[in-house]
Amino acid sequence: MKRLMILAASLSLVACSTHSNIDIDELAEARAAIAASKAAGAERCAPKLQAQAVASLYWAAHEIQEGGHPEEEAELTARAISKANAARTQAKKNCSPAPKKVVEIIKLSGVNFANNSAELTPASIAILDGAVATLKRRSEIQVEVAAHTSSRGAAAYNLALSKSRAAAVKDYLVSHGIDANRLTSKGYGETQLIADESTRAGEAKNRRVELRVMN
Amino acid sequence: MRITLLLFTLFAFSLPAHAGMFSTIDDRANQISAQLQGNHTYHAELARQLANVALEEKSQHDTPAAMEFIRMAEDHAAQAGGAH
Repeated sequence: MKRLMILAASLSLVACSTHSNIDIDELAEARAAIAASKAAGAERCAPKLQAQAVASLYWAAHEIQEGGHPEEEAELTARAISKANAARTQAKKNCSPAPKKVVEIIKLSGVNFANNSAELTPASIAILDGAVATLKRRSEIQVEVAAHTSSRGAAAYNLALSKSRAAAVKDYLVSHGIDANRLTSKGYGETQLIADESTRAGEAKNRRVELRVMN
Repeated sequence: MRITLLLFTLFAFSLPAHAGMFSTIDDRANQISAQLQGNHTYHAELARQLANVALEEKSQHDTPAAMEFIRMAEDHAAQAGGAH
């Protein structure tokens, strides 16, 4: 009776047998390929290919342990490797970081330049020194220096001028101790007007520099 | 003695039933497919792939392997958290 019970319990536990062992020499290359694709973010950015690679790995492991099907074993192992490589390639393409968003705009009112140039006026220096202090105090923020022009003149010229002005402000901030890795610069030319340009005051308002805090 | 035998019989059959041995592989694969409809996360995709392997092994009359793969598929389906 006791023996019968042990036999029945053993048979029942067959249902709980362990998964195929993938830790075998024949699968070393496939395991490495899958580890590399996983490290590249394939589970998130190429889930189907990564799943195909992993399923092929388990299937290959099963066939190898079972023995007697060398062609099938080789085919499944090769499939695991090729799917993992494809997953890694797709992950590298799909996992590129999402574009950053502007979460705050710090206006640098009073930062001006000599006419048609990117040379900062003396009055701008005090304002930029204030910006330096802000960036040092808020050392965690990443900032885009954004420069805008009015719509007077050709659009292409204004775009180029705004790029030079944004770069000049960035250079000033970097030369006063702000890590260049925290800063980018971008010129928007006359694409983002904020005031009616029928008056000189309106034009002046459109010529501006901002620090855009990015997230 | 009869009661002991009855209890033993119930116990012996409850374990494989709990492990899903009395549902067919096809039923379990269909259930996984229905459960994961619209879910394309890694675990959902892996659950589908493993269920397909289980069906393939079953068609080759390797029932123990089919059981193993369908169990793995169910594990990953559970991790995938159902339909999205």
